Amino acid sequence: MHSKTLLALTSSALALPGVVAVSSAHADTPPAVSVLSYRASSYKEDDLDASVLFAGSAERYDIKVHQLRYSAPVGEKYSFSLDSSYESMSGASPWYTVESVNGNAKVAMSGATIYEKRRDITASGRRYFDSGNLGISLTISDENDYRSNSMAVDGSFTLANNSTTISGGASYSDDELSPTDALLFNRIPSATKANSSAFVSVTQILNQFSILQSGISTARASGFLSDPYKLVDRRPEERNQFTWTTSWRRYFRAQTSALHANYRYYDDDFGVSSHTLDLSLHKTFRRSITLVPSLRYYQQDAANFFTPASDFLQASDFNSADFRLSSYGALSAGLKLNARVGKYTLVLSGERYKADAGLGGSGASSPGIIDFTRLSAGIDFTF
Amino acid sequence: MNSVVRLVATLTLLTGLAACEAVPAYQRGDLARTEMAFDPDPLESRLNQHIYFSKEASTGGNGVAAGGCGCN
Repeated sequence: MHSKTLLALTSSALALPGVVAVSSAHADTPPAVSVLSYRASSYKEDDLDASVLFAGSAERYDIKVHQLRYSAPVGEKYSFSLDSSYESMSGASPWYTVESVNGNAKVAMSGATIYEKRRDITASGRRYFDSGNLGISLTISDENDYRSNSMAVDGSFTLANNSTTISGGASYSDDELSPTDALLFNRIPSATKANSSAFVSVTQILNQFSILQSGISTARASGFLSDPYKLVDRRPEERNQFTWTTSWRRYFRAQTSALHANYRYYDDDFGVSSHTLDLSLHKTFRRSITLVPSLRYYQQDAANFFTPASDFLQASDFNSADFRLSSYGALSAGLKLNARVGKYTLVLSGERYKADAGLGGSGASSPGIIDFTRLSAGIDFTF
Repeated sequence: MNSVVRLVATLTLLTGLAACEAVPAYQRGDLARTEMAFDPDPLESRLNQHIYFSKEASTGGNGVAAGGCGCN
């Protein structure tokens, strides 16, 4: 047990900063231990405020999620991981938006509760070299009205100074939609879309206690990008996206705490640009309990074809009243507890997310923005 | 605005973040701590990315993208 822990620490330390993706860290050696993890989560959106409800049910989505992950070293140069999730969802969704007599927009929700399930599975493999690694992953996501098959490759290379790592990767997904009740509601019976993306990032050890990662990515979506479940919604058939992400980690030895700061800038040719900033502090007590308070700030501009009320006359080539394309901001706060007992780690976490049109960037706002609460519980078994 | 951000991002990458000191391997213990990882909890970050992807107009910036879903 002790030798394994020491090996994990030593190999990680020697191989730093072998960090590949902006979101995930891989040393230049496989992980020393296998981990089996399970999470159960509840995601619940607040009911739509009665003052902006035009018709239908005010009750929005309630989603239960089960996640399972297994990751393990395979020999001395490979690792393997399997991720799967199962979601069951119920609730109503915005259908169209109208302008009321006082000039304010109101939302008509789908009348009946929607029931939906989604399953996904991702299999990933990675090969480790003396100064880098190369990985591949395959994902299938399946719903009764949507199927997505995707593939991603990524790799990293640590420079001779052993303090800088260059990473890059690319992905492609092929998606098929087959909306339910297409004939009844005059929806498109079937459609396809594709997504491709690429990223490059630099990870740099700044000093004994801090490390920085900065990366840019570009993505292109093409095909049917409209929402088939909105009464009126017509979007361009191509969307080009850009992000710049910078992440900083700083360890405070006296406080046994790690500070995480992440910033993302995003823009696309729908006219949306956004800023996301999140901060979290990972405070460890007695080597076995970690408490993680976190804050997240998000702000976006509206898409240039967003309309506060649905454009029933189809006056413009492109139009959408989807709240996700409106101008708004959101603040969220989270708290997480990790408690380790031997080979087991108990994980409890929660997040409260509140959207506010007043925090938005440029463009019109929507009455349909959401507030939600997420609660998760789970366990990690390390062996 | 957009072009300025792109320029700054590109320059940050190209200049290679030069203002740093060489840290020998034996001093990297704190950097190697689990809580210092860029993604210390893959399951939670996977779920959060999925939620934000479904409910906000922005996506990406987390390495290679996963597949799509009918939730957006």
